[in-house]
Amino acid sequence: MNDWRSEHGGVPRSSIRASRGALAPGGVVGDGRYRLLAQLGVDERAGAHLWRARDGQLRRDVALTVLVGDPADVTAARGAQRTLERAAHASQFGHRNVARVLDVLSIGDGIASTEGLLGIVVAEWTKGTDLVDMIGDGPVAPATACRMLEPLAEAVDRAHNQGLVLGIDHPQRVRRSPDGTVRLVFPGPLPNGTLRDDVKALGAYLYLLLTGYWPLEQGPAAIPAAPTGKDGALRHPQNLRPEVPKELSALAARTIEDSGGGGVRTSAAFLRVLSQIAQDEEHKAYLRRTGAETEQPGYTEADGTVWTTRRPVTDAGQRKKLAFGATVLVVAAVGIIAWIGLSLISFFSDEDAAIGPDFNVAETTQQDDEDSDEQGEGNAGSGQEGPEPSLAEVEPGHVQGYNPKGTGDHPDRAPNAIDGNPDTSWVTSQYKQQLPALKPGTGLSLTFEEPIELHKVDVLSESTGTEIEIRTAQHPNSYLDSTEILGSGQVTERETGIELDEPTTVTYVMIWITELGGPDGAFESEINELTFYTSE
Amino acid sequence: MLPRVAPPGPPGRDDAAAGHPSPGADDVPAGAPEHDADRWAAPDQAESPSLARSAGTIAIASLISRITGFAWKVMLVWVLGIGVANDSFNVANTLPNIVYELLLGGVLASIVVPLLVRSQDDPDGGLAYTQRLLTVALTTLAAATVIAVVAAPAFTAIYVDSSTDRANSELTTAFAYLLLPQVFFYGVFALLMAILNARNIFGPPAWAPVVNNLVIMTTIGVYALVPGQISLDPVSMGDAKILTLGVGVTIGIVAQAAMLLPPLLRSGFRFRWRWGIDERMKEFGALAAWIVGYVLVSQLGYIVTTRVLTAGAPGGMTAYYNAWLLFQLPYGVLGVSLLTAIMPRMSRAAADGDDHGLIGHLSYASRISTVTLLPIAAVMTVVGSSAGIALYSIGQGAEGAGAERLGQALAISAFGLLPYALVMLQLRVFYALKDARTPTLIMLVMTAVKVPLLYLCPILLAPHQIVLGAMLVNSLTFVVGAFLGQVWLWARLGNLRSKRVLGVIIFTVAACALGVATAVGAGMLVPGTLPEIVEAWITLLVQATVGLGVSFGALAALGLEELKPVTSRVSRLVRRS
Repeated sequence: MNDWRSEHGGVPRSSIRASRGALAPGGVVGDGRYRLLAQLGVDERAGAHLWRARDGQLRRDVALTVLVGDPADVTAARGAQRTLERAAHASQFGHRNVARVLDVLSIGDGIASTEGLLGIVVAEWTKGTDLVDMIGDGPVAPATACRMLEPLAEAVDRAHNQGLVLGIDHPQRVRRSPDGTVRLVFPGPLPNGTLRDDVKALGAYLYLLLTGYWPLEQGPAAIPAAPTGKDGALRHPQNLRPEVPKELSALAARTIEDSGGGGVRTSAAFLRVLSQIAQDEEHKAYLRRTGAETEQPGYTEADGTVWTTRRPVTDAGQRKKLAFGATVLVVAAVGIIAWIGLSLISFFSDEDAAIGPDFNVAETTQQDDEDSDEQGEGNAGSGQEGPEPSLAEVEPGHVQGYNPKGTGDHPDRAPNAIDGNPDTSWVTSQYKQQLPALKPGTGLSLTFEEPIELHKVDVLSESTGTEIEIRTAQHPNSYLDSTEILGSGQVTERETGIELDEPTTVTYVMIWITELGGPDGAFESEINELTFYTSE
Repeated sequence: MLPRVAPPGPPGRDDAAAGHPSPGADDVPAGAPEHDADRWAAPDQAESPSLARSAGTIAIASLISRITGFAWKVMLVWVLGIGVANDSFNVANTLPNIVYELLLGGVLASIVVPLLVRSQDDPDGGLAYTQRLLTVALTTLAAATVIAVVAAPAFTAIYVDSSTDRANSELTTAFAYLLLPQVFFYGVFALLMAILNARNIFGPPAWAPVVNNLVIMTTIGVYALVPGQISLDPVSMGDAKILTLGVGVTIGIVAQAAMLLPPLLRSGFRFRWRWGIDERMKEFGALAAWIVGYVLVSQLGYIVTTRVLTAGAPGGMTAYYNAWLLFQLPYGVLGVSLLTAIMPRMSRAAADGDDHGLIGHLSYASRISTVTLLPIAAVMTVVGSSAGIALYSIGQGAEGAGAERLGQALAISAFGLLPYALVMLQLRVFYALKDARTPTLIMLVMTAVKVPLLYLCPILLAPHQIVLGAMLVNSLTFVVGAFLGQVWLWARLGNLRSKRVLGVIIFTVAACALGVATAVGAGMLVPGTLPEIVEAWITLLVQATVGLGVSFGALAALGLEELKPVTSRVSRLVRRS
């Protein structure tokens, strides 16, 4: 092909035509009438490219057998001519399982000489499946194979009676039509094809359907060639797949083999034997179906049209019921997974929040005009900042008990108040009398690694009634008198936010409890978690 | 011949209602009318290059449009940050898509395009039909646009939950006024694209969205240069910044639609008002009703999503939206380069009643999606946060922890990538089978799962974490959808060879586990002393390379046959460009 590509390659305008040598989907052949849609195979013996195409004039799909070759090659051209003549003869022939030949195009008669084609056989299009695809999923049940092939054998028999060669001997020339039988889709017999070749092809199809191997020479690359024994003879289908009935296996092998006695040489003989076996198989299948549930999943058939190599599960109604059940199950399962997933996010991110500065937790769009100017350029245009400064969490570097006027109050548990885990806590000792009877107060002293502008402290505590003061000092162990009160509040709910009177830059912060929670006679305060907020 | 690859949203822009695949026409049948002087001339075949080749250019065009479309959204984060302003813009900018989609999207794909192709067989080459179609559609669009603009505050009230005071509905409304006129031009673009595609003109419609993206990028540049900042309180429509962004983005769509006028006129089409409804449109009524139903149901899910997000911490909407774009980027690229080849074959098999072939193609496409998308999803899980910081922590995007949260949202939801792709595939199969009902019902179940889970987010999660929850829920709904799609296809078609798909999934998961482990290991080698964004980029590149390399390497070593067409296809694409 490359030869004439260079010869004709100089024609720039008609790039969409096949003249560039490549028949590509979307290209047109036959003087622009047929638009190629999809290539379905190549019969390399004749250079026949098998295409599904669209007839632009009659607006229907057609099957094209495009004979490609060099018009200067006399042998090839003559061979193509012969194929076209034979196809033209075949157009008289009508059978359900042979696509009708609609037209035969040759050079100068439907094909421009520049197209680089020797001829085209146009046949009606057949819906269905590639045999190659079908076999790709495994062999077919014997009874199905018989049923698929019987009408084609019948067609061959009728054609042979009229002296016509159909040229079925390439697995890509046929397809499984929607009624489940094998149909010749791409007619165009080889120039030297004989009646015997058609009969051999029938045997070969049977072999192919039963085993998935193609026993004749020069089959398509997509189908593996049939294995041969040591002596070079074809292995019988039964040797490859034990479940193939003996008669069927023998029929396939005897039809294909040229040598030896007892060969099946005519289509009539093939058809007779095939029909007999098909009947027997059908009977057996019927017995299996009506008897106990079959033990041969691959070979049961729901009905005549659908074949499968697996158990054709149940009927559609039952499948629907199952599908409903599955729907409910999936929904429930995902619901549970989602709950778990969300809880995990919550769990992990809480820890994140305790580790580093976090996103904007405070509300940002309050109607509060003051301060908005000072927010200034830093947040300009980001838009997320309302007039009120947004706050970020900041974690103290160190915590210790702060008990300048006494002892006790579990200083060893102090770190629990900032460990990010609300389940652990720091707790005061238990007091019989409310503060300040025994001492003026107790608390925690926290140290930040660097000075921060403290805005607010969140106290997570169950000890309602606890009065807390936020104080600061120059030293973590300062005397109470040298500390300065920044703000105060009472624990009224589990989470209490204590706003500072005004934001203050601090390094050392005291959480000073001046009144304990708990019942009379057993006063104590427990702090699960302290969270400090600085401006961002 | 050009299949529209499931854009979740209107044609040309894939930023519609996040997470909601929209139906689209599969392939425009080939076959063109012959020449005739008295009527609208048929497309000149000799002039256009071969379809196979033009399909290649179109793949590149849509790839570029996806990438530029993604780029401007990243740029928007750089100038707007991840906060209230961007949230408001995002919500407002989805409104036109939604209105368009409800009005025309599904109908266009399911009715108009097939009829356009058929009408070419009319004696006049489809001229009258096209004129009638344009007349009806343009009037409807114009009226709808006016109503939508007037109703902008109502839209805001539906989509934005301002009860927690964390969202800014005034700003959303201001943007909505400026952006809603897009509805009309979306419609015009989609119609013209359909008309041109039906006449085998694919180039300009594929490139037009790129023009739109470039206009928007320019707009963002201008926005950055305009002095001042958006005043949030009070919000003023006259604000220079708001005007720049709103008008600029709308002009992008106008340009996109205008791009298609010259090619249409060149094809010989002349517009004339022609009133009345074509009889043939009625045939498709039932199918369209279900498709519109699908859109409606998916909108419900989307409304709840935006409400929950806008009630959460500011920036949530932006993070969700961008995480979603990142999430579906790999699918977009894969869809363009790989699935285009399979989709038409699938619909042809369905049209031929060839269930067997259909199942084969579906199974094959599922397996291809698995081997390509699972490793990407696995790596996304690892590099999520780094990707968020690397891409978004620039300019205003660096404010706060929004970029990282965006990345986390991506990481958390990455597992949904394959289910998402499968849902899109199954959707195609259902439509190819002319079954518009089942997808709608599946969507209904997905939404029924999604809505309560979304409302669970604010209960279980802190405001700033809601976006993580929302993305998680979104991915989980795709898991539901993928399961249901498979189950109901099975109910209809019988054995789907799911076992084989499952086998490939298991193999791939094993390979990905290996990839993830090495990627995590590699990430530990990146020094932590670098500036945040540099570290993020290095981590991203190192982990992505190592993770993908090891995953695909392991798959190749396992000898998965599904990988072969991918590698050959990729190398062919590389060679072509």
